[in-house]
Parts: sequence; C-alpha cells; structure tokens
Amino acid sequence: MKNLFQNTWKLAPVLLILLGGGAITAWAQGPRLQIDQLDVLANKASETVDVKLDERLMATTAKFFSGKDDADIKEALKGIKGIYVKSFTFEKEGEFSQVEVDSVMSQLRGSTWSKIVTVKSKKGSENVEVYLNMVGDQITGLAVLSIEPKQFTVVNIVGPIDLEKLSKLEGQFGVPDLGIEQDKTKKK
Amino acid sequence: MKIKITIAGLVTALLLSAGPASVQAHGDGFNDAVKIIEQFYHVKHQAIPLLARAGMKAVGTAARMKGGDDKRLADAGSVRVAVFEDQNFDSRGQIASFKASLQTTLAETWSPLVQTLAPKNEEQTYIYVRDAADKFHVLIVTIERHEATVVQATVAPEILAQLMKDPGEMGKALTEDATINDN
Repeated sequence: MKNLFQNTWKLAPVLLILLGGGAITAWAQGPRLQIDQLDVLANKASETVDVKLDERLMATTAKFFSGKDDADIKEALKGIKGIYVKSFTFEKEGEFSQVEVDSVMSQLRGSTWSKIVTVKSKKGSENVEVYLNMVGDQITGLAVLSIEPKQFTVVNIVGPIDLEKLSKLEGQFGVPDLGIEQDKTKKK
Repeated sequence: MKIKITIAGLVTALLLSAGPASVQAHGDGFNDAVKIIEQFYHVKHQAIPLLARAGMKAVGTAARMKGGDDKRLADAGSVRVAVFEDQNFDSRGQIASFKASLQTTLAETWSPLVQTLAPKNEEQTYIYVRDAADKFHVLIVTIERHEATVVQATVAPEILAQLMKDPGEMGKALTEDATINDN
C-alpha cells in the first residue's frame, strides 16, 4: 500500500499533465497555446527560458521601434499580439516525455491549426514543426515545436506572422534561433 | 567646481530624504519578492548603507543632468534595491516551486516578461513589469549560488521596448544601473 502511494505520488505530475491536457485541448482552439503545464520540466532541465510578451506590452512598445535598425523589427511586429516562448535544455536524453510533447501537440490538432513545415535531421534526432493558425485566409498565429533529445522548445506567436517575419524575430524578443530555412522545408 | 557642489548638494538632499535602507512592509511586489526569497532559501537580505544608496542616486542623476548615456532608469528616486550577499541559495531540486511561488504572489499586479532558470548553477533571473502612469515599473530578481538582488525601477516605454527586444542584456544593464556604485 505504501508503495502504491509512493508510485502514485511520483506519477502525479504526469497525471496532472494528462488531466490538464484534455481540458486544454477542449479549451484552446485559438492562436494562443496553453504551455504553462510544461513548467514542471523546470526542475529537471539544466536551463529554462520562459518569455511572455503579451498584447498590452506589444501595443505599448511597438511605436518605439522607430530607428533605422528597427525597420525590419517594426514590420515583423506589425499586428503581433503576443510572443510566448518556453525552452527547456537537459543534460541527459529522455528527461522529457511524449506526455509533455502531446500536451502541446494536442492543441495543434484543432481545426484552425495546420502544419506547414517539418524539418528533420538525417539522424532523426531533431524535429522542428511549424504550425499556422488560420481564420479564413488570415493568419492569426504561429507555433513552432522544436524537439531534440536534450531540448524541447515551444514558440507561440499570436497575430499575423509568417516564416519570413519569424526569421526576423529570431534571436530577439526571446525567440530562439530556430534555423528554419524556407527552401529546405516542405509543406504538408 | 559647480558640478562638485551640485553633486554634494544632491547627496545631502538624498541623505536627508532617503528613508530607512531596510525593506519596508508595503506589501507590494518588491517586498513580496524579497520575503519569498528569504523564506524559500532561509536567507536574509542586507540593507544597503544609506550613503551608498544616496551616492548611487546622485551618480545616476548627475549622469542624466550631463545628458550622459545612463538614462535607463527613468526616475532615480524610485529605485529600490535589496541585496543578498555571501549566502547559500540551494533550491534543493525545487526551483520550479520557487518560480511558481514568485509567480503566484506577483501575478495580481505584475506581468512576467522573462524568466530564466539554470538549476545546476542555481542561477535564476525573473523580470516582471507593471504600468506606472506613462512609464513602467520593472522588477528584476537575480539569484546566483551565493548572492541575489532584487531591483525595482521605473523605466520609460523606450527602455521597456529595448528590454523586450533583448531581455537578458537589458535586464543585466538595469540591475547594474541600480546597484553598482561607481561614485
């Protein structure tokens, strides 16, 4: 009985993600993904980056990107309502599971999301997937899942964004360098 | 000569006007962040000597008067700093719990901007933002294995924009502006 309790306790985070995942799938059909459930990975990760730039912040600061160097940024940020990033780096492989990945993936199976890019390394150890959220013919959001043996990154941008704009934001605003080359990508 | 007199005057004025250096119980984000660090890590913050605080403010103010580069902090008088030095910050594998506690406490009035955690080295950085009329309050919590800093400062929207663009570097620069006394 004691073992049963101990095992149940150890599985609590997984159960929480599974239970939460169902609710999230039902709720999150818009361009904003629910990714806070991934926070449990922070205890195991050797490095965690969590960025939240919401609509109010984006709107307030957009006009201050007015310099020559900021022209590209200003264009890329036009209409963007939020940038959300969670990135976990681990020392060893196998520190995160399909459960955590599925807690995000399940939200991308909604009718408004479609996968536009999959980049896989030759060894299959790196997998980057890019999804767009569309309402009619309007892009309303983008999601990038980068899954490596020792790294799991989710980037969620709310607003009209495409791969070209995404590339201009890489390395800034908490968006990591994703290394997505458009000519090497394939559409679903 | 005039500059020397101005700086001396500023230091005197700040010495007279600055409140007690210890963290006062305002129940706002700054004090809450300090308390959470103290409770979670069983550490105590150190008060920055009054003279040092006055000196820091005078330097910042003088730089602004000269039109220097040191304009990141919009209002030197609003800077609040708590420092933890030569103490042991061991999160005992529960760094996510600390992050969650901080988030829960600050969520009501502060918005999280960037959070970075590196448990192996006990390194953490949290940057929170909230409105302050036409400016913004920024709360920066930096924790390392043996020291930590909590800084609350007022910044102009332009600086917030730069903070969003490059959170790591700008957060570091703001903390340095608020804590380094190069007087």
